Amino acid sequence: MTATDLADVEFVVRTLAETAVDKEKEFGDLDAVVGDGDLGYSLARGFEKVLADWDGFKRDDVATFLQQVAVAISSRIGGTSGPLWGTAFLRASAASKNFDTVDGAAAVAMLRAAADGIKARGNSDLGDKTLLDALIPATDELERQIQSGADAGEARAAFAKTARECADATSKLEARRGRASYSGERSIGSPDAGAVAITIMIERIVSEWGNR
Amino acid sequence: MKKFVNDPQQFVPEMLEGLALANPDTLKYVPEYNLIMRADGPDENRVSIVQGSGSGHEPAHVMIVGKGMLDAACPGDVFAAPPFDYVYETTKMLASPKGVLLLVNNYTGDKMVFEMAQEMSSAEGINVKTLFINDDVSVEDSTYTIGRRGVAGNFFVIKAVAAAAERGADLDEVIRIGEKVNSVTRSMGVALTACTPPAKGSPLFELGEDEIEMGVGIHGEPGRRRAKMMPANEIVEELLTPIVKDLPFGDGDRVALMVNGLGGTPISELYLLYGQAHKRLAEQGITVGRSYVGEYCTSLDMAGASFTLVKLDDEIEQLLNDPAEIPIRVF
Repeated sequence: MTATDLADVEFVVRTLAETAVDKEKEFGDLDAVVGDGDLGYSLARGFEKVLADWDGFKRDDVATFLQQVAVAISSRIGGTSGPLWGTAFLRASAASKNFDTVDGAAAVAMLRAAADGIKARGNSDLGDKTLLDALIPATDELERQIQSGADAGEARAAFAKTARECADATSKLEARRGRASYSGERSIGSPDAGAVAITIMIERIVSEWGNR
Repeated sequence: MKKFVNDPQQFVPEMLEGLALANPDTLKYVPEYNLIMRADGPDENRVSIVQGSGSGHEPAHVMIVGKGMLDAACPGDVFAAPPFDYVYETTKMLASPKGVLLLVNNYTGDKMVFEMAQEMSSAEGINVKTLFINDDVSVEDSTYTIGRRGVAGNFFVIKAVAAAAERGADLDEVIRIGEKVNSVTRSMGVALTACTPPAKGSPLFELGEDEIEMGVGIHGEPGRRRAKMMPANEIVEELLTPIVKDLPFGDGDRVALMVNGLGGTPISELYLLYGQAHKRLAEQGITVGRSYVGEYCTSLDMAGASFTLVKLDDEIEQLLNDPAEIPIRVF
């Protein structure tokens, strides 16, 4: 585990956090269409706590850092966003322990562990109209790109592109989990707020990667 | 609606402060995490029993912390799951070498928070398990729930696991007992009026002057049907029948019977209900071995009641008979 690895992970987490805070209103408006409109608020408050605690996080290694992020984001947040994102960071933390360096393969493993954590905690899966419908296919595409020998920039671009396509495609799905599920068929025609939110975060990470 | 309230946001902390001041020798209050714990805990020779839930169900669960019952309770705000860090910090503070059992009624928000707290504290080496309680036969999925809701029946799970822990049982044994009691416990309730959360100041749902909600949840969630008001004996029949059929309970069974007030019903009415329920069960050959009448798991000021039946065997009955010392007491 190198200092560069930790810096890359810090860049990803920090970008997630800053996007959540900057886009609070946009994410809330997306969620208000069929959910209860609290997605923007919950994410912003959770990631604000991450940013507030930032300097105090232990940085022994990537796993330790991500575990502290998990605690921070889950703290003092109502609704389901806190435990879902907290579990994602906690599982990514555990997955990082299997790698000596955070390369593309490690990133894929950590993303998969995060998605599996969200599945387990939220009792949800692909097709339920959640952020998993963007995150999982995007991770699959990232893995495919890396295995086919694409360069890192191409792989990242394909990752973001797939997330966007799949987030848009959630418009066709009927919500089966979360508050949006109470509106059932009425949820068809609007994309899932969580899937769009994660996509906006991914796009920002990819576009700012070179300046990190 | 008139309420004893200062700042609605401080309703829960002010209640907890009062509880702690009234029980200085037995309880410890940790305001940072809404935590009420036994003053003498955790005990390294005993599994710690912790229950979490929203507030608004008092005496559940902060007022049943004490010897022979809970080691700690960490409530959220009224009808809201406790935040994750409250549960996580509570788990760490209650960590005993024999383990920690987190008891949770089956609601989606609580389930997520407690499962995550278990995962996080396990990763730090704490021996912790979670047990979900789902005794309400009224409906399967509900407003805040996938599967059945957990309601007043959790008192029997708490009492049995706490008695076992007090006797020195290890964590696996405590869980075995908790799962067993949950599997033979069934409940259902009725609302005569809605309830009024302090922060809202008005009734949580509409219920007409002549209407009742059969199978209501303890957060005012809908039950099986909206009915016209009827004589008490008919209400007892409509609540008891689905409970008895569900397990099922039958001729020759020995049970614990709880008539639980939902917060706004006088105890006189609860005993009236108890009498009818006891007789109805006797007619079916079901003997009440232990009876419980009063307020256990309430829904703020809701007028209404719930019935809980537990099928007893020697093991469960002995555990229910063990002594307990908690803040709710007559003298």
